[in-house]
Amino acid sequence: MSSQPTIIGAVEIGTSKITVLVGEYTGRELAIIGRGECASRGVIKGGVVDNKAASECTHAALEMAEREAGEAIDVVFLAQSGGHLEGFYNEGTVSVRAADNVIDAGDIQAVCDQAKAKQLPDGRMVVHHIRRPYRVDGRLVPSSPDGLVGQRLEVGYWTVHGQEERLADGINVIRGFNLKVRELVLASLAAGHMVTTPEERQHGVLVLDIGAGTTDYVLYRDGAPHTTGVLPLGGTHLTNDLSLGLRLTEVQAEKLKLRFGRANLVTKDKNQKVWLDGNFAIGDRQFPQQTIEQITSVRAWELLEVVKRKLGNAFAPEGCAAGVVLTGGTAKLAGIAETASKVFGVTAHLGEAPTWVRENLRDPGYHTALGLLYYGISAHAEKSAPARRGGGFVTGLRRLFASN
Amino acid sequence: MNHDLVNLPYARSWRDIPQPVKPRALSREGQWRLFASGLRLGGFIAATLAVGWGVWEIARSLQENPKRMPAAAKAVPVKHLALKTDGHLDAAWLVRTLALPRNASLMELDLLRLRDLLLAHGQVRTATLTRNFPDTLEVRLAEREPVVRLRTDLGGGEVRTLLVAKDGVVFEGAGFASEKLEALPWLAPARLARVEGRIQPIAGLPLVADLLERAQRETARLFATWEIVSLAGLEADDEIEVRTRQGARIVFGTKGEFFPQLAKLDAVWDQLAKASVPPARIDLSLGREVPVSFAAQPLPAPAAADPVKSAFTFRFSPPN
Repeated sequence: MSSQPTIIGAVEIGTSKITVLVGEYTGRELAIIGRGECASRGVIKGGVVDNKAASECTHAALEMAEREAGEAIDVVFLAQSGGHLEGFYNEGTVSVRAADNVIDAGDIQAVCDQAKAKQLPDGRMVVHHIRRPYRVDGRLVPSSPDGLVGQRLEVGYWTVHGQEERLADGINVIRGFNLKVRELVLASLAAGHMVTTPEERQHGVLVLDIGAGTTDYVLYRDGAPHTTGVLPLGGTHLTNDLSLGLRLTEVQAEKLKLRFGRANLVTKDKNQKVWLDGNFAIGDRQFPQQTIEQITSVRAWELLEVVKRKLGNAFAPEGCAAGVVLTGGTAKLAGIAETASKVFGVTAHLGEAPTWVRENLRDPGYHTALGLLYYGISAHAEKSAPARRGGGFVTGLRRLFASN
Repeated sequence: MNHDLVNLPYARSWRDIPQPVKPRALSREGQWRLFASGLRLGGFIAATLAVGWGVWEIARSLQENPKRMPAAAKAVPVKHLALKTDGHLDAAWLVRTLALPRNASLMELDLLRLRDLLLAHGQVRTATLTRNFPDTLEVRLAEREPVVRLRTDLGGGEVRTLLVAKDGVVFEGAGFASEKLEALPWLAPARLARVEGRIQPIAGLPLVADLLERAQRETARLFATWEIVSLAGLEADDEIEVRTRQGARIVFGTKGEFFPQLAKLDAVWDQLAKASVPPARIDLSLGREVPVSFAAQPLPAPAAADPVKSAFTFRFSPPN
């Protein structure tokens, strides 16, 4: 690797806020050197609907991050979310060519190409090809099967694809700042990589990144992502329900949700009331706390139910020993872990960043941006690996993730 | 279940989305970044050019200044002298003339001084010396060709034959074939101007060279009889006088073209061949009239020429 560090910007264009983290990557280590945030405008359910407004906010966040870092960003890793993202599973199988049945690189390449070869409908583009573990004569091989003996080699890919225009919208926002998008990473993969350990992923774990406009999920099995998905549901739906149910403005409803909203019912007393502002000023009024909890818990339960239905047969409590991990801004809703545990029938807890992450970046709102940096670098390294086989880049990354 | 991947369908990736820079679509911050990156690129190119120029200058300075050359370049003595010339000088003459010190290396040679040594010989018109590392000194010469020859006293009673080039430079010829030199006319004795001991170029030689060249080309049989060329009347009368081996004097005017004068001479000479008395003087400098003087009887030698006893004038009509 070059001794010149690369300055990477991890950008998450979310429905409620835009987060930028700046990382200085030396080829061995990654240091977070800057952070920028801006309230989001022109973004609905994770998709850009007003390029000008979204660009202004994103550029402001980028500028803030660059200023804090004291460095200009070289490349951008962009988080991708939105209801347009879909996924499917496809498998490839090859017979091992060698007479002695020793699997070589040609066999591996052939089976991977076959598994990835699937025509997409017009206007759809691949965002990720997520490989599941290889199987040699039905036997699970978590790492590379190169050199193993077998007659049949199989592999499956979970392919995530999205609408071309929607993908280009996000990229164009970054291009407007004269930066290039080097990696486009699914938000759920980025967040999932940050809040789970390799052991959890090996045992099976479901990560739910519940944002304001979307809920991204990723189910890990056998150490690798098995299924991903995005639902156009999030914290704003809870706010909307409160707003409609209690006849409040969105700002007031959001305030109530953050202060008194819960994902489960704990208040027994119907007459227990809470103040909207609590400052006894004119216009301040009282609301029954149980009503607030009822509205938010029903919606939260419904949201989790939808995720479970979308996962279908892919999710089974016995295949998800590490349970459910919740992250994202809406994961801060009180009682959501208990509700998730009831809905999925497994243990659930709030995701936490690894211990080496600085205190000011441990908020669930940064998990996706942090994961973007680490997952993006790791994805980039995998692509570059053939050119630098055994080089310091890959070794450095392995060391980097060893502690996760 | 085979390895044939040729017909596998291809799915477009997000990487196929073009990411061109369109300044119009850039925000203000983006435009500033674009400008800054252009500035950085420009600065980098300028710095690279500056470094390249510096390296080139240093290399050139090292090449030209022997003192700055590395010791290794100075160590090898000159082994070869490569002579390239368009004339008659040879390698032996070059070795004698340059007289390089033994074991001198290329970088120790003062090329300007050596070039002056070469140019001191009038036969050398231009000289170029080049160091060809590690051990060859290349010398390129352009030489003068003689037009006439002359005999002069170089001092101390030593009379020597010298050659005169078209540009009037007087030099001691080297390497010329004797037949070639014997065919050259003599220049009538004249006082040679000297500055700091060096003979100065003779004025009027370009005219003589032009006359002789034309005569040799147009009337070779007449030119073969020419023995002496005199410039005595050049300055005062604009005349060049040629004396033949038979003692006749032919006067050419330098104000007119030589070609018509030679044509008239050819015609007159044919007419005079029938006469019993040889001509003593033919004057071609007067235009259409060519006065010819005759001696009383054939003379044994030019020195014994007698006053003219008779004369005749040829008149030529201008061509229609």
